[in-house]
Amino acid sequence: MKDVYILGIESSCDETSASIVRNGTDEIATVVLSQIDIHTNFGGVVPEIASRHHLKNITMVLEECLNKANMTMKDIDAIAVTYGPGLIGSLLVGLEAAKTLAFVHNKPLIPVHHIAGHIYANNLIKTMEYPLIALVVSGGHTDLVYMEDEFKFQHIGGTLDDAVGECYDKVARVIGVGYPGGPVIDQMATLGKHTYNLPLPLDDNSYNFSFSGLKSAVINLVHNEEQRGNIIDKEDLATSFQEVVVDIITKKTLKALKEFKISRLILAGGVAANKGLREKLSTVCVENNIDCSYPPIKYCTDNAAMIATAGYFLYKQGKFSNLELNAKSSVELK
Amino acid sequence: MKILYLDTSSSFLYCAIVKDSILVGELKLKLERELSSLALSEISNLFLVTSTSAIDIDKIIVVNGPGSFTGIRVGLTIAKTFAWTLKKDITTISSLDAMAISCQEKYDFYIPIIDARRGYVYACIYDKNYNQVLKNQYISLDTLKVTLDNLPGTYTFISNDKFENLNNVKSYDPDFVKIVNHFKDKENINPHGVDALYLKLTEAEEKQEEQNND
Repeated sequence: MKDVYILGIESSCDETSASIVRNGTDEIATVVLSQIDIHTNFGGVVPEIASRHHLKNITMVLEECLNKANMTMKDIDAIAVTYGPGLIGSLLVGLEAAKTLAFVHNKPLIPVHHIAGHIYANNLIKTMEYPLIALVVSGGHTDLVYMEDEFKFQHIGGTLDDAVGECYDKVARVIGVGYPGGPVIDQMATLGKHTYNLPLPLDDNSYNFSFSGLKSAVINLVHNEEQRGNIIDKEDLATSFQEVVVDIITKKTLKALKEFKISRLILAGGVAANKGLREKLSTVCVENNIDCSYPPIKYCTDNAAMIATAGYFLYKQGKFSNLELNAKSSVELK
Repeated sequence: MKILYLDTSSSFLYCAIVKDSILVGELKLKLERELSSLALSEISNLFLVTSTSAIDIDKIIVVNGPGSFTGIRVGLTIAKTFAWTLKKDITTISSLDAMAISCQEKYDFYIPIIDARRGYVYACIYDKNYNQVLKNQYISLDTLKVTLDNLPGTYTFISNDKFENLNNVKSYDPDFVKIVNHFKDKENINPHGVDALYLKLTEAEEKQEEQNND
């Protein structure tokens, strides 16, 4: 069978990325241009600034990717692009570039849901087997997804307010340890001890999450301690915060695995790089005979390799779009 | 020489294919919120109905602003991707250039203006030979009006936006052949370097600048 090369394009937040993946398994070349240093100055991603930088970078990223792969557009079978969810202005740059390439080179255009991309990043490590439960945790998402088969998604739970990564960023800001908060707090949590009493958020019977209450609890705790003239031990607070977050995510993920009678779990998204979460979930999965896999860090954060990989499965199904494809800030995973 | 002209800096899609001063085909569509979804689809239809292949285009002239930030990025992404991937020549012009050059009546000065909200406009003043007397800028309408007191001659505003208490405003209807002829020899730029002319920082940058100045 002829090899299929998909060019993936991802620009849903603050990374401009292009990647070429063969047959949905082999990464040929990936380029990720992160704007993190720019947004750090503002304490978080500024959508208009992100869009402006995507426009500056998009063709350079595409060119570098093709050069790295030693390929031309003639070698590409289809173009897969993130159409949502994400920041609308950011998405549009990747989308218009993808549409233009599809138009001028007469290639199929494949719309990819960003979360489907995160999930399929796992296929770059080992062939995904079904059924499975996917836990997608990032700056914009906290979702539990049941997959009965290839590209069959059932969203069984998600955050009702802040995404988990967003909560890490806000807590990091409150305790003054900079942006992005996830990696810093994860690191600090290894140095502290669980000292502060924080509520386990939305500890109910659903598969949903809620982190805004936890965030408020941390803010209130810091303010109250400051008013009393007490010094907060940031490492201890990071440990307590991370423990609560990891506990609730693990609890609900395990509940989903048990109730759906699934023995495969995959992690996806930027927060899947969190060591505390990986370790806890791995331990729990071993205890419960569940096969747990997570991609290396380069595939956890936003990248186009995951989009090209997901795009391959849609290519096989002939799920192409016309040039009227639009960006969507929020869109259901189906 | 076949030139593709593209302007998505407003709620309109303005696009044309001009070959040796002859209009091969054009689009003047008020797409508003549908601009991002429909622009490329409409452009591909234009190529189809004019039996033009993308490879036939020799040069792209694209408007890089000022105007709608999102709109500008839609057109610029299409144009720079097109030019880069097919190794075509590309140059940028401002939306205000296009507006001034398209005016069909004779004046000593042309003043294209685009509403930038909160009493501000994007504006420029051109003399009758289309030399910029006042360069492209983000300016309060009141300040612009004061500048006009010293203009030695007749003038007209050109705009498709509505302004209260502003007389002598001609509406803008692009004259594609005139625009393309005027700019067809403008120096080409590397497609990677094609960027927007926003004329305005983002709010976050403005706030940061204010804090730095305090």
